[in-house]
Amino acid sequence: MAMRQTPLTCSGHTRPVVDLAFSGITPYGYFLISACKDGKPMLRQGDTGDWIGTFLGHKGAVWGATLNKEATKAATAAADFSAKVWDAVTGEEVLTLAHKHIVKTVDFTQDSNSLLTAGNDKLLRIYDLNKPEAEPQEISGHTSAIKKALWCNNDQQILSAADDKTIRLWDKTSSEAVKTLTFDQAVSSMEYIPDGEILVITYGKTVAFYNAHSLDLIKTVDAPTSIHSASLHPDKDYFVAGGDDFKLYKYDYTTKEEMESYKGHFGPVHCVRFSPDGELYASGSEDGTLRLWQTAVGKTYGLWKCVLPEELASENSDAIYCPPEIKA
Amino acid sequence: MHTVTNMMVEFSTACRQPVAMKKAPVTVLRLPRGPDPNSRGFDPNSPRFIALCPTSIPSSAGEGACIEEEQRSRSELRERFLRTLIKMSNKPVNFDMYEGVQVRAKFGASDIDVLNFQVSELQTPIGVQKEALLRCHDMISFSFDV
Repeated sequence: MAMRQTPLTCSGHTRPVVDLAFSGITPYGYFLISACKDGKPMLRQGDTGDWIGTFLGHKGAVWGATLNKEATKAATAAADFSAKVWDAVTGEEVLTLAHKHIVKTVDFTQDSNSLLTAGNDKLLRIYDLNKPEAEPQEISGHTSAIKKALWCNNDQQILSAADDKTIRLWDKTSSEAVKTLTFDQAVSSMEYIPDGEILVITYGKTVAFYNAHSLDLIKTVDAPTSIHSASLHPDKDYFVAGGDDFKLYKYDYTTKEEMESYKGHFGPVHCVRFSPDGELYASGSEDGTLRLWQTAVGKTYGLWKCVLPEELASENSDAIYCPPEIKA
Repeated sequence: MHTVTNMMVEFSTACRQPVAMKKAPVTVLRLPRGPDPNSRGFDPNSPRFIALCPTSIPSSAGEGACIEEEQRSRSELRERFLRTLIKMSNKPVNFDMYEGVQVRAKFGASDIDVLNFQVSELQTPIGVQKEALLRCHDMISFSFDV
């Protein structure tokens, strides 16, 4: 019998959630970090949404947050002109990297030895985390604030998206721009899928997929609303997107058909990402919440329990929480 | 609690036309746990913490004997700091902050992570603030008469 999606709401933030990132799969499961305008990024258990801790120290809105693969380190980018590196096990602040303007984006290399930062000063910076006092490598070229910067191609290259309506691919060693993509609208988000070398870009009402090496266009899909963020499933069979109309959309990647849309958030969706195992996706919204959504609705996973109609009627139903009807 | 069957019967009784079968919502075991209002989390008793941080003391040396001595010193220093805060209660304290700012206020209390100090009668160049929070990150030093 078809089941209706029950999103899990993670509360705690007091202002819009603007960025989120998952770690890789670790022996302790996988983790989720959320960046919020309240200045207090939070770490959560990825499959349940349970709060683990809050990174305290930033003095302004946190615009970007990321975890390293092992979820042992976290990095955040904030409006207080700093990027911070944190111990993601103890919650302690490890490093503060001062910048000359609002920092918007942070990304670790696979070995967690380098941190890429970028923001409103239009520069990409690469910090050696083993020598943090050393001057970072700086890469210039963008003519407006950089919204997102990511390592790619085995950490040999960098992809950056800026308000100058370009996405540029840089070579780390030479600091030169290897390729540039120009759009007629600002790019709202970017996701890099190393396995398959796919770049997911959103702008206007479009979700576009590019080859991350050649920056050749693979396909575009148009959505019913302005899209702020999209994420491709690890198996590349679905992608999800969210934006201005508060809904989450799920599409078939191969056929480009819209499969489902889900209501739940009370504000525009700013970020959405699939978990590393593809079993769920998380969305962050202007309404200050994160929501976790099942990829396969009705499957037993995390806090979701597959319950057959007979079980619901039996005495064992006391342990199961049946969510109240949400008026559509 | 309504069972799936009851819901369907009620729904179809209310509307006389044949209706599409109403989907039952996926059940959950519980809701995600929210933040603890009293702490910043990162439970030191969690399996991950215990496995990855056997001693959360960044020790200068690596040997066992040194760690014990270092731990003793750290405990002593921590206790002294906490006792200083207690002694400071309701006393006028001078704060040296960044940007050459020096202010004087009556110290009230600190929060648990020593991120903010609650003070009263804060004397500033633009007047006396009856109640204020001072950010500890912005302080270089503070002093008071015992």
